[in-house]
Amino acid sequence: MKLFAAIDIGSYEVEMKIFQITSGKGIKEIDCVCHRMELGKDVYRDGRIGVEMTDELCRVLNDFVRIMKGYRVDDWRVCATSAVREAGNQLVFLDRVKRHTGLEVEVLSNASQRFMDYKSIASRENEFNRIIQKGTAIVDVGGGSIQISLFDKDRLVASQNMKIGNLRLRERMMNEGVSLKHYETLLTEVVKNEFLSYKKLYLKDRVISNLIVVGDHIGDAVHKNVMTRADFLNFYDDMIYRSDEDAAGRCEVPEDVISVLRPSLVVYRCFLEAADVENIWMPGLHLTDGMAYEYAQQNQLLKLVHDFDEDILAAARNAAKRYQCSKSHIKVCEDLAVGIFDKIKKSQGFDDRDRLLLRIAVILHGCGKFISLSNAGESAYHIIMAMDIIGLSEEEKEIVANVVKYNTVPLEGYDKIGSSRMTRENYLTIAKLTAILGVVNSLDRSHKQKSKEAKQILHENELVIQLYSDEDLSLEKKEFAKKAEFFEEVFSIRPVLRQKKMM
Amino acid sequence: MGEMDLKKAEYYTNRELSWLGFNNRILGEARDASLPLFERLKFLSITASNLDEFFMIRVASLKDMVHAGYTKKDISGMTASEQLKKILKETHELVDLQYSTYNRSLIPALKKRGLKIISEHESLSEEQKKFVDAYFEENVYPVLTPMAMDSSRPFPLIRNKTLNIGALICRKDGKEKHKTLDFATVQVPSVLPRIVELPEGKDGEKRVILLEEIIERNIGQLFLSYDVVCAHPYRVMRNADLSIDEDEAEDLLKEIQKQLKKRQWGEVIRLEIEGKIDKRLLDILKEEFAVKDSDVFEIGGPLDLTFLMKLYGMEGFEDCKVKKYIPQPVPALMNDDSIFANIRKGDILLHHPYMTFDPVVDFVKQAAKDPNVLAIKQTLYRVSGNSPIIAALAQAAENGKQVSVLVELKARFDEENNIIWAKKLEKAGCHVIYGLVGLKTHSKITLVVRREEDGIRRYVHLGTGNYNDSTAKLYTDCGLLTCAEPIGEDATAVFNMLSGYSEPKHWNDLIVAPIWLRKRFLRLIEREKNWALAGKEAHIIAKMNSLCDREIIEALYAASAAGVKIELIIRGICCLKVGIPHISENISVRSIVGNFLEHARIFYFYNDGAEELYMGSADWMPRNLDKRVEIVFPLKDEKIKQQAKHILDIQLADNLKAHILQPDGSYEKIDKRGKKMLICAQDYFCEEAVKNAKQPTDPVLDHVFIPAEAGIFSDRD
Repeated sequence: MKLFAAIDIGSYEVEMKIFQITSGKGIKEIDCVCHRMELGKDVYRDGRIGVEMTDELCRVLNDFVRIMKGYRVDDWRVCATSAVREAGNQLVFLDRVKRHTGLEVEVLSNASQRFMDYKSIASRENEFNRIIQKGTAIVDVGGGSIQISLFDKDRLVASQNMKIGNLRLRERMMNEGVSLKHYETLLTEVVKNEFLSYKKLYLKDRVISNLIVVGDHIGDAVHKNVMTRADFLNFYDDMIYRSDEDAAGRCEVPEDVISVLRPSLVVYRCFLEAADVENIWMPGLHLTDGMAYEYAQQNQLLKLVHDFDEDILAAARNAAKRYQCSKSHIKVCEDLAVGIFDKIKKSQGFDDRDRLLLRIAVILHGCGKFISLSNAGESAYHIIMAMDIIGLSEEEKEIVANVVKYNTVPLEGYDKIGSSRMTRENYLTIAKLTAILGVVNSLDRSHKQKSKEAKQILHENELVIQLYSDEDLSLEKKEFAKKAEFFEEVFSIRPVLRQKKMM
Repeated sequence: MGEMDLKKAEYYTNRELSWLGFNNRILGEARDASLPLFERLKFLSITASNLDEFFMIRVASLKDMVHAGYTKKDISGMTASEQLKKILKETHELVDLQYSTYNRSLIPALKKRGLKIISEHESLSEEQKKFVDAYFEENVYPVLTPMAMDSSRPFPLIRNKTLNIGALICRKDGKEKHKTLDFATVQVPSVLPRIVELPEGKDGEKRVILLEEIIERNIGQLFLSYDVVCAHPYRVMRNADLSIDEDEAEDLLKEIQKQLKKRQWGEVIRLEIEGKIDKRLLDILKEEFAVKDSDVFEIGGPLDLTFLMKLYGMEGFEDCKVKKYIPQPVPALMNDDSIFANIRKGDILLHHPYMTFDPVVDFVKQAAKDPNVLAIKQTLYRVSGNSPIIAALAQAAENGKQVSVLVELKARFDEENNIIWAKKLEKAGCHVIYGLVGLKTHSKITLVVRREEDGIRRYVHLGTGNYNDSTAKLYTDCGLLTCAEPIGEDATAVFNMLSGYSEPKHWNDLIVAPIWLRKRFLRLIEREKNWALAGKEAHIIAKMNSLCDREIIEALYAASAAGVKIELIIRGICCLKVGIPHISENISVRSIVGNFLEHARIFYFYNDGAEELYMGSADWMPRNLDKRVEIVFPLKDEKIKQQAKHILDIQLADNLKAHILQPDGSYEKIDKRGKKMLICAQDYFCEEAVKNAKQPTDPVLDHVFIPAEAGIFSDRD
């Protein structure tokens, strides 16, 4: 048995959960300590976290440490989300927290945060797997933004972030000083407008019959975890014009919960109108649940059924489709890339994560052309960096974007490339993955899938790639020669192309 | 049924008058000649201390309302000044009855038993006079602080509840024709025993005199250059209601300490004086204390009858007292296993004081030592003087357990005590929480978190009474020891909430005031009503200390009107009226006043056969439902449910100590004539606990409420 403490420093509450993880009973919540404080209020208004808030937070975190120690937990993790992420004084703030509480706070990127939320849902395997058999959307509401993720069959295919988090909306409306009736109208207008473009991009050929809501307190307010569309609309009509006090009394929740629930309700309603949702599932999960799940996963404390890598790949493929990348070209390249990767994996010290990044880079390598044929590399970089690939950290996303970029232009030196996040190690990963991508891309230069089959043989310092094809491969060969040089430079392995005729 | 207006004032009894009725019932015990004599003294003493508290709190707040010009009416349609008028009238009658009981009944009876109370120093014999004068010289004189008032010295501050002797004095050397009378006063020192034993008579008769008589006799010694014209005891009661502005109070602890000092000097709301007091002296007192005639109580006997409790403690006279009952061991714990192992075998119901309070103390003690225990959390409301629980908690903290203690500083009249404990615990390393601003934490709950092989397991004790090992010998209370997971989770959430963190997303089993409890009770009552309307059997039994919440009473009226049978066992205040045609004809109310103070709260709902039983810390009073953190818990275990139902059944069968509420608002005892079996519930439970402890078996299987051995059920005479 392991005891794990997960602390989430969110936009409007700070929460610690203590989990007990056993192979038999799985993950069990033992304690949940939650303190409402609106860090986001400072940040979304002033762009920084004030001294008072920081002091209050330190006091609460110190108390959390005390509780955590009381349980003698085996491990803990402290994550912060959008409020801290967007705070201009993030570093100073983190330093202060560290000095006053001894806690190292990890600031999650939006994508990692959402992925963790998603994991928390997926951890409810039975219910989750049943629900996602039908078209499903997850709306993950945060203080700063919401994340909408779509499922096709049982794969997560698209995920989009929108800056209409409940606290942000509430703060925006607060300044208007309007009546409840007018409040709803204004809010609806704001949210509807956001959804208009979303619908065009994502919903036009999809049927979304289930909506999963995580991250806010609607489940606590309706006191159940499943609602039909009609249930929701009744609840909405009943609540929306009530004062906070009145609504809080009715739902038996504190008033501050209502004040952030109100904007969420409008968001849900607008989503309901944009999609044909029949049922709403509110598992009442929070980031901390996902943190526990990830901890269990990383420490192999549980057997997991759902393959999250497949979700990331599915989402990447879906994005590729949007940017009109050639599906068959990707298929050939992906097979080749994985083939080469697996051959040299051991000698190069690659791990499974590198393999995943390579596959994503292959899938997305053509997306830049959607913007500019002449400057495809640079465009691809920007597209990928702006994309929500949930499950990838910012760091990983940057690796993928660079790999794709330097597939078309020569790799620049370490000092020229990327952001402050870029470590030497990551730079090397970029170089290595770029080398592989370059080679495999050259093998289908014509995008005609001339080869029906390929085989890789690693022999000392030589990697022989046999392509089974009856067609003329001279274009490929020429391109290959160019890319092979870089490959050899990076891996000290010389790739050799051999054509085998089928007939 | 058509729409009825159940809110009509005439359907409700004023709570203060109902309380006075309760004090009258206790006085009834003091007047009951069938009871052992010394028990009667005790009851009389209780009526006196009750009345003091009633004035300091209730009357004081009514006076505040009058001063503030507050004219809103209570549920019975009375304004504050109307209530005060009525209360004062009834209190005067009550006090008259107290003293006629004392003078006409108890004093002669005591004399018959060989204890003579000499009520006036004038009637001392010469020998006795010598004795008391010597006693005065040696013991009393050194601690007296006489104070005189004249043009240069203002009227001194007279402390709340203290007994004083007021005197009129006059200078001896004054030659002028117009001799002036000065006022002087001296406090009867509370550090000395109020009862002074005199040498025994020849026949072995014990004789006692009260301290104030000795002082009165020697008062001349205090004002040597004066003539004492007259001297009489008096006593004042001040407004003592602590109202703390918590928004302003940065540090609750400091604020309460400050208020405690202030309590001495609140407005005077009652002046008690000796009946034969000198008119001139009285006028001075009335003027200086600014009291009206109706606030002056002329007493026909010694002031402050609480000294009778001390008399009760006097050695000897054991045949005039009820034999002290020794709380019995709990059958489920009569083995060598640890308390945790025993709880794992199944829930355990405790019924104090019939069963000993030790398991509750042991629960904390064992947890303090158990290496697998991670944390102990407990709410403390009123703690006893040398509490073993406090010691165990401190020990646990020293052993490295995480100990969180909620100390409710606002427990009335115990604040001073609580502050001392809070500091002691903090010193030992406990995490001490002082409760939520604006809410008094009245719930009684202890949580022990233990790390066991298969994971974390939580053990919980929930009670209806305070964690006070002394009162646990006098109050009847229930407690539940359990390690049921849903309750454990809820208990964790309760403590997080009390520490100021957010309420949990949902509760499994516990029902917590102020947010959820009222609604739940209303729903439970309404559900019973609906069963009745559907033509099903419907039945509510509720036992508590007080019922005065309008909304609940209204719901009970509606349920009764729908045909629900409602049996209430309410010790104290009851604002509900029985026998209102078509409204409360199905409701019966009984009040049990006995040797132990009835204190448990148990609620039973028939629920069409799927019976539900709850226990908890809350009465059906607005303050319990809206202004306090209270916990009511369901009894889930079938065996425990039967045990709890059994408690209710026996109390409903009581025909010795039960007083039945009449439609006119009075209470009457049950006519014993023709009753085959006389049952006193408290005695029954005593007997039963003794029997069960001899052969630990299932208490429920043993008896289906047929009191087999009838010995103790017969009338005491």
